[in-house]
Amino acid sequence: MKISLNWLKSFVDIPSDVTPDKLGELLTLHTAEIEGIIDLAGEYDNMMIGKILSVGRHPNADKLVICKVDIGQKDPVQIVCGGLNLFSDMLVPVAIPGAYVRWHGEGDPVKLEEAKIRGESSFGMICAGEEIGMETDNPEGATEVKIKDLSHLKCKPGTPLSENLNKNDAIFDVDNKSLTHRPDLWGHYGLAREVACILKTPLKKLDSFLKFKGAPGNEKLNIKIEDQDGCPRFSGCIITNLKTKESPDWIKAHLEAAGVRPINNIVDVTNYIMLELGEPMHSYDRGFVKKDSLTARFAKKDETIETIDHKTRKLTEEDLLICDGEKPVALAGVMGGVNSEINDQTTEIILEAANFHASTVRRTSTRHGLRSDSSQRFEKGLDPALTEIAIKRAIVLLQETCPDLKIASPIVTIGDWKAPKIEMTVDPAVISNKIGIKISTKEMKRILTSLEFGVTESGKKLKVTIPSHRATGDVDIEEDITEEIARIIGYDAIPAEMPHLPINLPIENEERFHKHATRNILSAELGFTEVMNYSFYNEEIFQKFGLEDMRHIKVLNPLTVDQTHMRVSLVPGMLKSITQNQKNFPEMKLFEVGHTYQEVGEFMPLEEKWLIGAVATQDKKESFYEIKGAFEVFQKAFRAPNVSLRDCHTSPPYAHPKKCLEIIMRGQNVGYIFTLHPAVAKAHNLEHQVGIFEVNFTKLVEHGRDPSNFKPLPKFPSMTFDVSLLINRKTQVSDIEKAIKKGDPHKLIKDIELFDIYEGKNIPEDKKSLAFSIKLRHNERTLNDQEFQDTQKAVFKEIEKLGGVIRT
Amino acid sequence: MKNELKKLEKAALAALEQVKSSADLDAYHTKYLGRKGELTGLLRGLKDLSPEDKKTFGKATNELKIELEGKFKMKQNEFEHAEISKSLKDEWIDLSAPGTTTKRGHIHPLYQVQEEVERIFQQMGFSVVDGPEIESEYYNFEGLNIPADHPARDMQDTFFIDKKADKDEGRLVLRTHTSPNQIRAMKKYGVPLRIIVPGRVFRNEATDASHEHTFDQVEGLMIDKDISIAHLKGVMLEFLQRLFKKEMKIRFRPGYFPFVEPGLELDMSCIFCDGKGCKVCKKTGWIEFMGCGMTHPHVLRAGGIDPDEYQGWAFGFGLTRLVMMRYGIDDIRHLTSGDLRFAEQF
Repeated sequence: MKISLNWLKSFVDIPSDVTPDKLGELLTLHTAEIEGIIDLAGEYDNMMIGKILSVGRHPNADKLVICKVDIGQKDPVQIVCGGLNLFSDMLVPVAIPGAYVRWHGEGDPVKLEEAKIRGESSFGMICAGEEIGMETDNPEGATEVKIKDLSHLKCKPGTPLSENLNKNDAIFDVDNKSLTHRPDLWGHYGLAREVACILKTPLKKLDSFLKFKGAPGNEKLNIKIEDQDGCPRFSGCIITNLKTKESPDWIKAHLEAAGVRPINNIVDVTNYIMLELGEPMHSYDRGFVKKDSLTARFAKKDETIETIDHKTRKLTEEDLLICDGEKPVALAGVMGGVNSEINDQTTEIILEAANFHASTVRRTSTRHGLRSDSSQRFEKGLDPALTEIAIKRAIVLLQETCPDLKIASPIVTIGDWKAPKIEMTVDPAVISNKIGIKISTKEMKRILTSLEFGVTESGKKLKVTIPSHRATGDVDIEEDITEEIARIIGYDAIPAEMPHLPINLPIENEERFHKHATRNILSAELGFTEVMNYSFYNEEIFQKFGLEDMRHIKVLNPLTVDQTHMRVSLVPGMLKSITQNQKNFPEMKLFEVGHTYQEVGEFMPLEEKWLIGAVATQDKKESFYEIKGAFEVFQKAFRAPNVSLRDCHTSPPYAHPKKCLEIIMRGQNVGYIFTLHPAVAKAHNLEHQVGIFEVNFTKLVEHGRDPSNFKPLPKFPSMTFDVSLLINRKTQVSDIEKAIKKGDPHKLIKDIELFDIYEGKNIPEDKKSLAFSIKLRHNERTLNDQEFQDTQKAVFKEIEKLGGVIRT
Repeated sequence: MKNELKKLEKAALAALEQVKSSADLDAYHTKYLGRKGELTGLLRGLKDLSPEDKKTFGKATNELKIELEGKFKMKQNEFEHAEISKSLKDEWIDLSAPGTTTKRGHIHPLYQVQEEVERIFQQMGFSVVDGPEIESEYYNFEGLNIPADHPARDMQDTFFIDKKADKDEGRLVLRTHTSPNQIRAMKKYGVPLRIIVPGRVFRNEATDASHEHTFDQVEGLMIDKDISIAHLKGVMLEFLQRLFKKEMKIRFRPGYFPFVEPGLELDMSCIFCDGKGCKVCKKTGWIEFMGCGMTHPHVLRAGGIDPDEYQGWAFGFGLTRLVMMRYGIDDIRHLTSGDLRFAEQF
C-alpha cells in the first residue's frame, strides 16, 4: 500500500526535522514495515526557478553561453550553459551545487559542485527536462541543445522547483503483509494516528472532516440487510444534482501519490475515502438502481453477475450480493457490477458504505480469484463504525466539485452492529515483566490514550477500553496491550539479556546425534557425498521402480506433474542424482538421509528416516562388492548392535534378485544391499554400474550403538599361510570360510582373508579360483611347526571335502 | 701368536687404507671381520692355547677386534655420509607437481550448518527435537491460532494430502513451517521448555532462484516463568555472534504471526558490510533474519500450559536462507539439484 506524506500531514503535524527517511524508519520500527520511500521533494533539493537576466558569449567556447541568473538570492549568479534557446526574462529550472542531476538524461544522478567550465566559473547549471526527471526537451536526433522553458509558471525567482511541479511529496510503500492484523491501518488516517502517537504530536479529530453543508432531504432510500452475519452494518444516501467532472488538483495529487488513477469526481471520491479511512465505498448511478433499493443478501444458486471488469461470474449461495429491486448490482465487498457504473451522464447517485463479514468476503474473493483493493480490506475485519463516517466524508468531498449537490435522502444506517464496549483490566507489572524493562504506568497511559484507547487507573491495574477501530479481533487480550506498549516504547529500548535459568539438561536426541555421526563416517571415512532430494515424485517414476504396490500418499494440489506423490523410498531420488551426474563423473559415491512416507491405514501416515548409499562406477568390476564393502566398513565404524547380512528371499522390486542381501538387526529386516535390477538400470539408460545400500535409519539407531571395546594386543607372533583353490563357481565364500574354520584342530585360526577371486580365462567355465590368507596364533606361546602343519593339512582337507582343488 | 696378531693388525689397517668404495669395504669386512675372516680364525685358534696364553692373547685379540671394528664403522660412516651428501646434491623432484590425493566425501552444506546451529543452541541448554513432515491442519494452523479463512493462511501456500479429513485434526498437509512442533513439544515434554526444531518444510509456490517449495527452517521455543523479550534478544544475539564469529547487532520491529503476541521481526546487522550498508542489505545495514515473538496464550493452552503461570517466546528462521547467505549461494535450486559439482565445494 502506498502512503503519501502530504496526505498524512493533513491529519497530523510532522516536525520539519523528521525527514521522510526518518519517518519511514520510525514506522518500520514501531508500526509496520516500510519497504521503500520515494522522496519526490528530495529529488528536487537545491533546485529552483531562475530568471535569466542576461545571456552572453563564452570567450573560450562557441557552443556555450554565460548567463546571469536571478535565483532569488541577493545577487544574481553566473552559470555557464550549453542551451541555445535562452533569452532574457526566461524562467528556467536551476540546479545549484548540492543538487543531483542526470547529465543529458543519462546514467545515475550526479551531485553538482561549483565548477569552472572552460575557464569561466559556473554556479550550478540550467537544466533540460530530461536532466531532472521531467519531460525531455531534447528528443533523440535533436541538433540544438534546449533548456526547459518554465516562463509560463509566472512565479518568483527562487521558488523551489518541487513546489511548482507538485513534487513536494514523499511516498511510503508499506508492506501489506505486515498489516494483516491491522484493519485500522489500511487508510491514511490510521497511519496518521500511529505517527501522532510515535511523534507525540496531536492528531486532528476525524469529526472536523465530516462537516458537510446543507441538510438531507426526505426522498426514500430502501436499504435492507437479509443476512446480518454477512453484513452487520449498511449505510447509504441518495445524492442528486451532480455533474461528473475532473477532481480538484489536490484530490488528484493524493490519489496519484497512492497509486490510483483519477477518473472523475464521483469515482475519485469513493476511492479517496477507501485510501483515507480504509473503508471501501461504492457509488451507483441511481438511474440504473431499481426502486432506489439496495439489499444485502446471499446469492441464489446459479445466479450470475457481470462485474466491472466485464467478466460474468457464476455465483454460489455463499457469495454475498448487493441487489437492487430486481438484480444483483455488486459482489459485496469485492467488486461492483457493470450495470450501474458511474458514467459521464450521471447526475444522481446512491452512495453505499457497508461492512461485510471478513470471512465471507475472503471466501468469495478466493473462489472467484478476484482480489480487489476492497476485498483486501474487508477480509481483515474493518471497523463497522466507518460506514456512516464514510458517507458523511463523501458528501464533504463531493461538495468540493459540486457545491450545489442535493442530499436527496437522509443518511440511512441499518444493521445489528452496536458500538462495542470491550473493557479489560491489565496489569502494568505483568506487561513490564514480559517486555523485560520497567515501563511506568504513566507512559503506558500516554501510549494507549494516544492510540485512542480509553484508560483509567484502578488500583495498581489499568482498565482499558478498546476503540472500535481496534475491536474487530485485533485487540482482545492483555498480550495485545503488551504489544501496543512495547512497539511504541520501541524494541530498541529493550536490552539483550541472557535468561537466568536453572540447569535443565537438554533432552538427548540420540537419533539426531547418530545422523550427524553417519554423515561424518560416510563422507570423511568412506568418501561419500551427500545429496538432498525432494520428498516428491510421480506415478511414472515409482512404477519404473516397481513400487506401485506400496501404499503411496498423494498430494492433492501438486505444484508440478512430476511431484504428485510422497516418496516411499529414497532409491528413485538417488537414481535421479546418479543419472544427472553421469556425464560429469565416471565414479560416484553418494548418500542421502531423509524421510519416507507411507499410508498405513491410520490418520497419520508412517514417516521413517532412511539412509541410502550408492556407488556408481563405469569400471567393469562388480559394484555389488563395492557397496557391500562400503556398508560393512560403515557398520564397523557405526557399530549398530546385532547387525548381520543374509541372502535375500524376497528382494525389493528394483533390486537384482541374485545380487541382493538383506540387512538384519535382531532378526528383523532393516534394509538391503543390492545392485539395480537390470530392467530398472535399462529404463534409466545408466552408463554406470550402480550398487546401493538402503537402511531404515529409525530402526538402525533404535538400540543405540555398541561401544568400541579394547582387545589386548597379541603377545606372541602369528604365522600366516596362503591357500589358493579351484572350486565350483556357485560355492559361497561364506561356506568355504566355514570349512576353513572347521579345519582347525588346535584352535589357532585368528583371521581368514580372501585376497583374490577370479573367474574366466584359464579356469574351467563352472569353476572359480580363490585365494585366502589364513593367520594362526597361539594366545599363550609361540607356535611350533607341528601345529602349523597340522592346521594347514586340516584346512586343505576340509576344502577338498567341499569339492575344492588346492592349487598350492 | 703375538707376531700373528701384530701382522694381522698391520695388514688390516693397511688394507682399510686402500678401501675406496663401499664394495671394497664389504670385501674388507669379509676378509678380516667376517665369520670366516682372519680375525675370527685367530679367535678360533685361541682354544688350542694354554690357559695362561689363552688369557693373554685372548685379551689382545679382543682388543684388536674392537679396534678393527671401530675403524671399520668409522669408514662405513664415512661412505654413508658421502653417499647421502651425493644424493642430496643430485636428487630433485618437482615440488610444484600436485600431491597424491584420495577422493573425500562431502556433507551437504545445509546439514553442516544445521549441525552448527544445533551445537550452539545445545550449548545454551536447548534440546533438539523432531516432528513429522506430514502434519494435520490442527497442528499446522488451528493450534497455532490460525483458524480457517484467516488471511495469514495466504502467506503460506499449503500442499494438502489427498485423504479424508479427521474430525478433530482436519486435513493432512505438508507442514508449512516447523511451528507445529511448538505444540507437540509442549504436550510431550511440558514446562519448562527450551527446544529447537530444525527440519524440512514445504510451500506450494513456484520455484525460482530465490523460492523453493522445499526448504529447511529452525524453530525455537523457550517457556518458563518470567521469560521476556529481553531474553529473546539476549539468546539470539549470542547465537548469531557464535555462528558468525563476530560482533553483531540485532533489532526488533513489529511483525505479525498469529502464534505470537507481541509479534516481532528480527533484523541482524548485515554480515557483509557490518551494518555500513551494501548491495546485499539494500543499503540499510540490516538483513531480515526471522520472525519471532512472545508465545500467544492460545498456543500455550493448545500445548496444555497455563498462560497465567508460564510465558515465553518462539522464533523461526530459514536455515536454507542462512546457508545461502553464509556460502554466498546465489540460487536456492542448487541445494536440491543433486549436482556433485555443487556438493563437492563444501
